[in-house]
Amino acid sequence: MMDLTVDFKGVSKRYAHFNLDNINLELPTGSIMGFIGANGAGKSTTIRILMGLVHQDAGTVKVLGHAMPAEQAAAKMDIGFVSEDMRLYAAATLHWHMNFVSSMFPKWDQAYADKLIRRFDLKPQQKIKGLSHGQRVKAALLLALARKPRLLVLDEPTTGLDPVARREVLGELMAVLADEDRTILFSSHNTQDVEQISDQITFIDRGKIIDSDNKEAFLDQWRRLRLVLPQNSEVPRLPGVIDVGGSGRLPVLTTNRFDPGMLTVCQDLGATVQAVDSMTLEEIFVSSVQHRRETVAV
Amino acid sequence: MNYSMVKRLILKDWYLQRIAIAASVLGGIGALGIVCLGGQAAFMAGLVLLITALIAVGAHLAIATMVNERKEQTLSFVMSLPISHAEYTLSKLLGTLAIFMVPYLVLVFGSLALFAIPHGVPHGLLPFTTIMAVEILLNTCLMIAVALVTESQGWTVAAIIVGNISINIVGYFVAHLSGIARGMQGGSVNWSTTASVTLLVEFGLIALMLGSTFYFQSRKRDFL
Amino acid sequence: MHSDLVISQTDGRPMYLQIMEQIKLRVSVGEWAAGQEIPSIRQLAVSLRVSVITVKRAYLELEREGVIITQHGKGSIVAPDAGLGPRLHEEELTEHLERAARLGEVLGLSKEELAFRLEEASGRMVDDRQPKEME
Repeated sequence: MMDLTVDFKGVSKRYAHFNLDNINLELPTGSIMGFIGANGAGKSTTIRILMGLVHQDAGTVKVLGHAMPAEQAAAKMDIGFVSEDMRLYAAATLHWHMNFVSSMFPKWDQAYADKLIRRFDLKPQQKIKGLSHGQRVKAALLLALARKPRLLVLDEPTTGLDPVARREVLGELMAVLADEDRTILFSSHNTQDVEQISDQITFIDRGKIIDSDNKEAFLDQWRRLRLVLPQNSEVPRLPGVIDVGGSGRLPVLTTNRFDPGMLTVCQDLGATVQAVDSMTLEEIFVSSVQHRRETVAV
Repeated sequence: MNYSMVKRLILKDWYLQRIAIAASVLGGIGALGIVCLGGQAAFMAGLVLLITALIAVGAHLAIATMVNERKEQTLSFVMSLPISHAEYTLSKLLGTLAIFMVPYLVLVFGSLALFAIPHGVPHGLLPFTTIMAVEILLNTCLMIAVALVTESQGWTVAAIIVGNISINIVGYFVAHLSGIARGMQGGSVNWSTTASVTLLVEFGLIALMLGSTFYFQSRKRDFL
Repeated sequence: MHSDLVISQTDGRPMYLQIMEQIKLRVSVGEWAAGQEIPSIRQLAVSLRVSVITVKRAYLELEREGVIITQHGKGSIVAPDAGLGPRLHEEELTEHLERAARLGEVLGLSKEELAFRLEEASGRMVDDRQPKEME
């Protein structure tokens, strides 16, 4: 029986102009899940339901074994949450925030907090309103990390950060996972970051989860086949091909269920396989969304 | 209900409002000084000033501690702490009222002192003053309740305006109630039944307001 | 933690293959000795800033190829048997030859033409080395 830190079953939420529909999500303890979706796809709503800030209309949510939103106070004792629209108190200093947060979390690690201050190059005595955007993001992350949470929930953690800061933040996130009892869920537009550090990846679009799998499986199963067709020949029909692009004699087939046997089939049909390209996570995501929007009546 | 968490949340709001608290106390003492200039006219003028000042303090607090949590986007930071919605609501209600009590009690006791000193305010005004003092408290509870439940600047300002107007109306109305108007000129305190009933109604309304705030807050399904 | 291994973002190959290659290189040149302890899956993932699942896959493949041995609960070590060097190069040669064969097909070369090109290249290598040997 897999130990799940986050368990969504059949979660739905209706708003006037948007519906979250039948969300099923399983996040095993010790792993890191990247959550990718367009703006307005439902990432933030899902995360808010996870945190107990929004009450779902249907379905069950369990976080760290606690039912949400009923047991949120207990669950949040072990959660560090940072979202892009979250702000700290502008008139207070980072030092005050550290004192405030540490007073509420017994597991607060001051030595680790001090290390993060140095690593993130922050000045505790500075008022929050005097910080740049990147510094504010790092300050909020510090407050979440230093409480040593078993679950880190991050909504766009690297958005707006310069490349050096991004690398520092990714490094700290990975350091959290050195402990196999700790778990991370993060949503991001930065597909490169997601591709690099995620174990599990979930795609969400228009309130529905359109795909969820481990990263290696995604990268293994998606391919672009570049074929050279002989004269007057048709594009081979293969199962698992979800898009055909390119031109008449040089088709490019996109498949989400790649199998080396496909190449033999193509060659048997007279086509030459010019290349078999892997796809980046971004390309996979965009293809997935396009395919779904074309095939599902919205 | 985790009361130590509630306490920490209240202390947080006290810290963030520390300057406003200090300023309101100083301002209140200044207003009392005006009342001390003596005579019934000065008393009435001072009373109006005090009432206005207290309403302003209550209004500022309602907005600063509640509407701003949403406007300044700190609400998700607070709700990421290990607290329930009920603990948040309780900390805001108790905390904001407690903060309000600082200038309020300074002024209440200051006013009572003015009654106690020789050649001070005529004692006949005591029932009316008490009723108005509780009316201010009631008005502040209304502003806090609206601010907490709606988290909207628009609605809160509307409540402030309505409250301001109604205090004037209530003041006029109560001052002309037969049970109270009669005793106002005299030198001795005259607690009529009318006065007692009015006070009871006011306290009842305060309890109702606080209770319904809790109720409406608990029914919120989208805290963010 | 600064890692020994360096992973390239622009290398088009899957991350787990890069990791495998780097580990095999270290073993073949002797930097990671036979029987020596290597970083655990999680430790390497953290230092490379790469997902645990990718490192786990690399380690599983390496174990299948006999390059490393993972002891349950005790971490991983370089496999004690030697002879990795030649095997590594064997694999690399096979890979390159297959790639050359594919390109030959795209260019429309016959098997003889392809073999001729290989001879040419081999000859060039000998020529390049001549001046040094004459010194």
